[in-house]
Amino acid sequence: MKNSGDSTVIDVPPTAGSSSKKKAVVSTAAPQQASGGVKRGLSIFDFVIRLGALGAALGAAAAMGTSDETLPFFTQFFQFEASYDDLPTFQFFLIAMGIVAGYLALSLPFSIVCIVRPGAVGLRLLLLILDTVVLTLATSAAAAAAAIVYLAHDGNSSTNWLAICDQFEDFCQNISGAVIGAFIAALLMMFLILLSAFAIRNTH
Amino acid sequence: MKAVTGESSELKSSKLKPGVNRGLSIFDFILRLAAIVGALGSAIAMGTTTQTLPFATQFIQFRAEYNDLPMFTFFVVACAIVSGYLVLSLPLSIFHILRSRARATRVVLVFLDAGMMALLTSGASAAAAIVYLAHKGNGKTNWLAICQQFNSFCERTSGSLIGSFVAIVLLMIMIFLSGAALSRRR
Repeated sequence: MKNSGDSTVIDVPPTAGSSSKKKAVVSTAAPQQASGGVKRGLSIFDFVIRLGALGAALGAAAAMGTSDETLPFFTQFFQFEASYDDLPTFQFFLIAMGIVAGYLALSLPFSIVCIVRPGAVGLRLLLLILDTVVLTLATSAAAAAAAIVYLAHDGNSSTNWLAICDQFEDFCQNISGAVIGAFIAALLMMFLILLSAFAIRNTH
Repeated sequence: MKAVTGESSELKSSKLKPGVNRGLSIFDFILRLAAIVGALGSAIAMGTTTQTLPFATQFIQFRAEYNDLPMFTFFVVACAIVSGYLVLSLPLSIFHILRSRARATRVVLVFLDAGMMALLTSGASAAAAIVYLAHKGNGKTNWLAICQQFNSFCERTSGSLIGSFVAIVLLMIMIFLSGAALSRRR
């Protein structure tokens, strides 16, 4: 009897191959098992999406961090330079996106391990849990910044908050782009959670 | 015949505790009920908050309601959607209690829970950003803190955020539970 991965292969004929993909698996009580190729494909897809989310998170953090703008003129009432650290929400956004990007970079080796060893269920469960926590952080930062960006674009007449985008156009473009990048990262992380759940289900 | 080498101890332990998955599912059901209370309470608390000042000043509106700020409207809508989803997913949770071996439906539940958690988090965070701005204002952008005029409006909106954050944490724990139930060997 040969054990490869999660399946047990009984070599009945003398010329039996050692691959566990096509051999009939004698496991009457075990659930249907995805072949190693499907699991490996899911893991590779997971790695690729993780790279994409890392790029989106880094782009969002960079766009927010370099969004300083100084106007060439000044008026009597409004300040003539705008930066992300004028608003504490944007400071929170930058720190949170930094944490998200750092986590995604550190989880890339774990994702590679999942590709190499398709049977590692505990690792996938750990990635699922950490991905959920970081998804919450990314969504929270993106939504808070989006609220402030919306306010900067449109203002609010009931509270007498004026739209600052009329003066600071480049600043507004940068912060809007940063918010979009953060939402893309959050969306990709949702797919990561789905992939991890699928992979855990297929492992047994 | 199950896999034998190196995994017989796990096999024995999972055979000795067949009810752990059922316990996880029951815990998930209880958390779902608590999250419904949290999300619905938040929606109602935010939605019924109005304050009318007894006087009128020249520049500031003297009546504050949740739909004066679109972020609060989004918060109420998101909380309502999430509590509606949680109510609709109660039958699925009961199904998981009855059939602890269900796998495909657990994956569906994980994905839907993650999506709803993202929606609720975005609504609660946007409302929290506005509540922070209403409390502190911002000198650089000339946004005045409206809480100084509308005291009880501010207090109620700040308090209604708590229920939604509790629901977010509960949704996160529910995702962990579903993942753990998926990863257990039969």
